[in-house]
Amino acid sequence: MSKKILIVDDEEVIRKFIKIHLVKLGYEVTEAADGEQAMEQLGKDDFDLLICDILMPKKDGWEVIREVKSNPRTKAIPVIVLTAKNEDSDMFKGYNLGANYYMTKPFTKAQLIYGLKLMLGETSEEIRA
Amino acid sequence: MEHQDKKRIILTLRWTAIIVTSYLILFGKGRVIDLYSSYVLIIVYLLSNVLLTFFPKTWFSNLKLFYPLVLFDTGIVSFGMYLSEKMATDFYIVFFLIIIFASVSRNFKLLMVIGGITALLYGVLLYTWGLLTKEESGSYTLRIPFIFIMTAFYGYIVQTLTKEKRKELTISEDKYRNLFENANDGIILLRDPQLQVADVNREVEKAIHYKKVELLQKEIFDLFIPEEVEKARDFFKEVVEKGEGRVDYLSLTKKDGFPLEVDFSIKRIDLGDESFYQMIFRDLTEQRKLEKKIRQSKRNLEAIFDGIRDQLSIQAPDYRILRVNRAVIEHYQTVFEKLIDRKCYEAYFLRSEPCEGCPVSVTIETKQPASSTMKRSEDNTTLQVFSYPILGEKGKLLSAIEYTKDITEQQRLQEQLIQSEKLAGIGILASGVAHEINNPLSGIIGMAEIALEEEDLAKKETYLKDILNCAQRISGIVTGLRSYSRAAKKEELSLVDLNGVLEESLKMVQLAVKGSSVEVIKEFQSIEKIRANMGEIQQVFTNLITNAFQAIDGKGGKLGLSTRLIEDWVEVKVSDNGKGIPHKYLNHIFDPFFTTKNPGEGTGLGLNIVYRIVTKYEGTIDVESREQIGTTFTIKFPIRRTET
Repeated sequence: MSKKILIVDDEEVIRKFIKIHLVKLGYEVTEAADGEQAMEQLGKDDFDLLICDILMPKKDGWEVIREVKSNPRTKAIPVIVLTAKNEDSDMFKGYNLGANYYMTKPFTKAQLIYGLKLMLGETSEEIRA
Repeated sequence: MEHQDKKRIILTLRWTAIIVTSYLILFGKGRVIDLYSSYVLIIVYLLSNVLLTFFPKTWFSNLKLFYPLVLFDTGIVSFGMYLSEKMATDFYIVFFLIIIFASVSRNFKLLMVIGGITALLYGVLLYTWGLLTKEESGSYTLRIPFIFIMTAFYGYIVQTLTKEKRKELTISEDKYRNLFENANDGIILLRDPQLQVADVNREVEKAIHYKKVELLQKEIFDLFIPEEVEKARDFFKEVVEKGEGRVDYLSLTKKDGFPLEVDFSIKRIDLGDESFYQMIFRDLTEQRKLEKKIRQSKRNLEAIFDGIRDQLSIQAPDYRILRVNRAVIEHYQTVFEKLIDRKCYEAYFLRSEPCEGCPVSVTIETKQPASSTMKRSEDNTTLQVFSYPILGEKGKLLSAIEYTKDITEQQRLQEQLIQSEKLAGIGILASGVAHEINNPLSGIIGMAEIALEEEDLAKKETYLKDILNCAQRISGIVTGLRSYSRAAKKEELSLVDLNGVLEESLKMVQLAVKGSSVEVIKEFQSIEKIRANMGEIQQVFTNLITNAFQAIDGKGGKLGLSTRLIEDWVEVKVSDNGKGIPHKYLNHIFDPFFTTKNPGEGTGLGLNIVYRIVTKYEGTIDVESREQIGTTFTIKFPIRRTET
C-alpha cells in the first residue's frame, strides 16, 4: 500500500508540481490550500508525511504544526516545513514546534525528494533513484 | 490782635494826642511865633486823623504805614512845640525821653508804668518850681497827661511793630529748626570762612556717634578719616570758591574711628547777617552694600551669559544690538565693538531689513516669546532661533533676548536617523518581498523541471503557462517595489495624493506580513493633495500600517484606513482591533528609542519618526488606544490652498 502524503500550501502551482513528482514516485497525495483545510484532512485520514507551508491564510503553518504535534494521534507524523521564510530564527522556531525537516523556497526536485525519503525512512538506493 | 482793634486804638490815641497838642499850642498862653502856621499845623494834624479813618483796617498791621505815621506825628508835635514858646526846653527833653523809652521798651505794661512815673516826676518838678500855682498853671498841668498819652501812643505803636516782626521771626526760626532737627539726612552748619562746626542735627549725632557739644567748634577736617583729610581740603577749597559742591567719595570718621561712607552736598547760606555752609550728607553704607550686591549679581549674570555656548544677543525694539555673549563674538570672529549698536540683520545676516520669519520681530510686536528655524545661506547652517521679551516695570518692551542654537549637526543626525529607520523599514520589506518572490520562483523551478521530463506536448504547454504566470507575478512585484523605492528616494516636495500613498504603503506592508488573515477596511474620500516629500509620507503610513498588523495577533484582525476632508485639514486614520497600547505607555510611544518589542524586532524609532515627519508639515498626530480593543492613529495635515 502506497504511503499517504498531505501537501499544505496556499500556492496552487507549488502543490501542483509537487503532486506530479510524488504521484510519479508512487505516493498517494492529498492537497490542502490553507491551515484549516489541512486540519480537516488530518482529521479524516491517516497520513505518513506532512509537507507544510508557513504563511497561509486562515491558519498558518506554525499553528498546524503545533496542533499536529500536540495531538497523540498525529504526533508521530513527520513534518517537513516548506517555506519562503529563510531566516535562522524561523528555522529554529519550526524545529522547536516539533517540525522534523526544514526546507526553504525556492527548491529543486532533488532537494524535495531527498528530504521526503529521509523523513519516510526509505533507503539511500531509493533516494538515488 | 484784630486789625479792627488796632485801628480803633491808634485812632483814639491820636485824637487824644491831637486834642492835647492843639490845646497846648493855642491856649498855652505863651508867645506864639506865627499864629497862622499854628492853625495850619493843627488843621493838618486833625485832617491826617480824619484821613486815617478811611484807611482799610488791614493797613494798620502793615509796617509801611507805621513808620511814616510815627515820623509824621513826631514832626508835627516837635513843630508845634517850636511854634509855642511856652513849651520850653524842658518839654522838648521830656518829649524825646518818651520816644526813647517807647522805642527801647519791649514791655508795654512796664512802659506805661515808666510813662506814669515820668509824668508824676515832671508834675513834682513843676510843683517844686512853683509853676503849678501861677496863673499859667493850666497849660503846665496839661503837660502831665500829655507825657502819659504820648508815651502810650509811641509805646503802643513801637510795641505793635516789634511784636509783629518778632512773631514772623519766631515762626520762620521754628520752621527751620524743625526741618533741621527732623531731617533724615545729617546736616552740619559750618561757619564761613573758618569751617568750624556751628550746629549739627540729631541725624549727625546718630550717624557718627558724637554728641553735639563734642562737635561744636571743631574744624570740619577733624571729622574726616585721616587718610582723606587732604582730599577733603581740596574739595573744600573748591567749595569756598564756588559757594557749593557735591562729593561722594569722602568718608567721615565715627567716634570709634570707623569710617562712614557718605554722599555730601554743601552750599553757602546766609542766616541773619552771618554766612554759613550748610553741609547735608547721607549715609551711603546701605547703598554701598546694595551696590555691591547688584555688582555681584551683575557679575554672576554676565558669567552665565558669557558661559552659555549658544549665541545670545540682546536687541532693542529697533533691532539694535545692545549686548552679545562670547559665543557670538567667537562665532563671527569679530570684536564686541563691531556688533554693538548695529542692526542685528545687518551684523549677522548682512541684510538691509529684518529677516523674514525672525522671531525677534514677533516678540517686538507681541511681547511674547517666539521661535523659528532659520537657514543662513552664507555658511549653510541651520539655526534654531528663540526670542524672549525683557519687559520694563510698566510692561513696555525694553529689549528682546535672541537665543540662537546652531542645529545644523543635530538636523544632520536627525536626517541620518530617518534614513537609517528607512533602511530598517526597507529591510523588513525586503524579507517580505523575498518571500513573495520565492513562492512563484519555486513554482517556476518546479514546473520547469516537470516540463523537461514531460513528453506529452499538451501537458508541457500547461506547465509552461504556469511558469509564465509565475514569472509575471514576480515582474509585478518588482514593478511595485521600484515605484515604492523611487518615492522613498525622492527628496523634493511635490503634491502628494494621500490615498495613493496609503494604497501603495498597504501593498508593501502586506508583502511583508503575508499570510496573516487581516481584513482591510478602506474608506477613502476624495481629498486634496498636500505638498510634501512623498517618501516621508510613505514612511509615515508604512510605519503605522506595519504597527497595526503587528498589533493584530490571531484571527479576526481588522485594519481600518480612512481619509477625509475637514475644513482646511486632511485627516488620515489608521486603526486596528489589535492588542492596544497599555495606558502607561501612551505618553511615551512617540519618544525616540521607546519600544516594547524584543531586542532586534524594533528600533523604537518608528513612531518618533512618524511624529517628526508629521510635525514637520505642521500636522498633528493623535492616538487613541484601549487594551484588547484596538488602536487608532489620527493624523491631520493642513492644506495650504494659497500656495502652489
